[in-house]
Amino acid sequence: MTDALVLETAERVFAAVSTFDAIQEAEAQRWAPAIWDAAAEIGLPWISLPEDKGGVGGTLSEALAVLTVAGRHAAPIPLAETGILGGWLLSSAGLAVGEGPLSVVPGLAEDSLTLEGSLVSGTAHRVPWAQHVDRIVALVDGHVVAISPRSARFDVVNNLAGEPRDTVHFDHAEVDVIAPAPDGVTPNALRLRGALSRAALMAGALRAMTDMTVAYTGERKQFGKAIGSFQAVQALVVRCAEESFLVDLAVQAAAREAERGNGNFEIAAAKTLADDAARIAAAAAHQAHGAMGMTQEYPLHQLSRRLWSWRAEYGDATWPARIGQGVVENGADHFFRTISEGSASGISI
Amino acid sequence: MAISFTATELTDAEKALQKEVREFCDSYLTPGSYVPGLGMGAGPSKELSLELGRRGYLGMALPVEYGGRNASVIERLIVVEELLRRGAQVEYHWTADRQSGAVINRFGTEEQKRRFIPAICRGELCFTIGMSEPDSGSDLSSVKTRATKVEGGWSITGVKIWNSNAHIGDWMIALVRTEESDDSHKGLSQFIVDMRSEGLEINPITFLDGTADFAEVVFNDVFVPDDLILGQEGDGWHQCTSELSFERAGAERWLSPILIVESWIREHSDQFGPEALRFLGRATARWWGIRQVSLSVARMIDEGKAPSVESAIGKDLGTEFEQQIIADLQQLVELEPTLETDSTFQRLLARALLVSPSWKIRGGTNEILRGIIGKGLR
Repeated sequence: MTDALVLETAERVFAAVSTFDAIQEAEAQRWAPAIWDAAAEIGLPWISLPEDKGGVGGTLSEALAVLTVAGRHAAPIPLAETGILGGWLLSSAGLAVGEGPLSVVPGLAEDSLTLEGSLVSGTAHRVPWAQHVDRIVALVDGHVVAISPRSARFDVVNNLAGEPRDTVHFDHAEVDVIAPAPDGVTPNALRLRGALSRAALMAGALRAMTDMTVAYTGERKQFGKAIGSFQAVQALVVRCAEESFLVDLAVQAAAREAERGNGNFEIAAAKTLADDAARIAAAAAHQAHGAMGMTQEYPLHQLSRRLWSWRAEYGDATWPARIGQGVVENGADHFFRTISEGSASGISI
Repeated sequence: MAISFTATELTDAEKALQKEVREFCDSYLTPGSYVPGLGMGAGPSKELSLELGRRGYLGMALPVEYGGRNASVIERLIVVEELLRRGAQVEYHWTADRQSGAVINRFGTEEQKRRFIPAICRGELCFTIGMSEPDSGSDLSSVKTRATKVEGGWSITGVKIWNSNAHIGDWMIALVRTEESDDSHKGLSQFIVDMRSEGLEINPITFLDGTADFAEVVFNDVFVPDDLILGQEGDGWHQCTSELSFERAGAERWLSPILIVESWIREHSDQFGPEALRFLGRATARWWGIRQVSLSVARMIDEGKAPSVESAIGKDLGTEFEQQIIADLQQLVELEPTLETDSTFQRLLARALLVSPSWKIRGGTNEILRGIIGKGLR
């Protein structure tokens, strides 16, 4: 499949299945089998993974562009976890990806996973859809492991969008598969990929939020005219749109550099921009929608609650400080080169 | 919604140009040889403009036959970036290089092209913009300056305002009413006016920081010969908006404060705490992102598209960010600002506090641009 065809198909499928009602239902049930099945049927979760490990081929940029489409439709499924995060961990370590949905342990500071032989113990936090996936993938003590959720205990935790982010306890749980993590597969690399996945999802949600706000302010009438014709309201719409374009462009550039091997600066920058955009654009979109945007029946919250959640996933506060540190180390003389050449300037993130 | 941006990057040839320009700037603009300023407000230096002309860095996008190099908008952006980020004194050639040459090339007669473009490419000519009037700012089509037909040419009477570098300028491209019309966008024409014409009076306007780089230009029956009307009589509005719209997202909309941050790192990075590092990281990320917008818009123009809404987005994002940088930095450093200091950082930060309000005003206020963007989104 060509890039454009993949995206068109993804758009059509998500538009059909990731509807307002289906997303609300997923929140209540904590799993959306119909949405997962529709995406899985056309292979979307496995784009960019090698075919000999169970993937469907394609590039990282394509996988991220599909994530952006999923973000636009607020699709409540572990698409990133199965593909560019969990699938990447497994296939990089020479392991088969398998056919079902995967979750990934993001690796927070308060986690305590340890490995003894083939047994995993300890607690992992914020594990997406952990109870409903086939396997939970984690990076533990220099090894990639996959564990069945049947050998774990869970505390139910959701993010603000009602997406499962459970706390998972393992007590000498036997791994399904295990392999040493190869060069380049590190907690930092996972964190960067995780940040890129969230930035890609956020680019989609921001775009949908912009479209929704443009449409609403064009239809809603007060004082006899569409509220979008008031300059103050128009400024809110424009603010939302600008942030959405900025993040979309940043994700495209970050995907391009990551695919080439070193896009650490671009990823950190894209996530930083997406995190700021979540705050700025969601505030503007809600203000433009007035009270209607605060209700459960109007779909804005399916986007804004995701943006507020994804913003904090795979780090928000840490990226600016890490970039700042890298800029200082790269030196004042190289400042413009850092901005214009990014990772290629030699900045270390 | 048809608006979208596609990421682009420099080609190998563009990177080679960037390297060449960097080497030239490193050798010509050595520390201490000039006083760095802020972006396109860094002041004029005819000497620098002539040197850039000799190197082929001015009027780059203009045709080779008139002294240009048929270069792309991206290539011009590369040159401009290197100059602005060093705070070089670009004002003498700025308007001519950015827009006057392009508009003459697009709408001028063969004779006008031969007369002006080679000299613009050599850095010899300083142009000033003649659009705003005392009663016509954002509402530009309401201009009242009038040209009346006289023997052999036109006689212009009226007042133009906010003309940058009018006092050192050689020429102004003035938007003038040549015919009364119920539709204010009709009946306007552009003229190339000699700034040394009889009857033309230049009154400097002192800004709040004491500088007087802008002026009011009064036309008292100023004669302009027939061969200096630019383009079609009555087509001035169309010509003028094309001049305004496409290159709004240039590097001058986001690079103005870069030397402040660079010198802050140079002078103070050993004292940076967590808050300073976070500010620096966030600013760097946004600088990088906004540059992607600028590159994307430039590439669209090179591909023959007309990204006027995308350009307006670039300007709004860029200038909003520039002001935010100054506000955040001032809060972070807790300095009592002064211009009387040996520190480049402190001097430029103090200057920026005084001049940065203008960044969201020049080239169309951001409020008006948001109207253009809002319409484009519908």
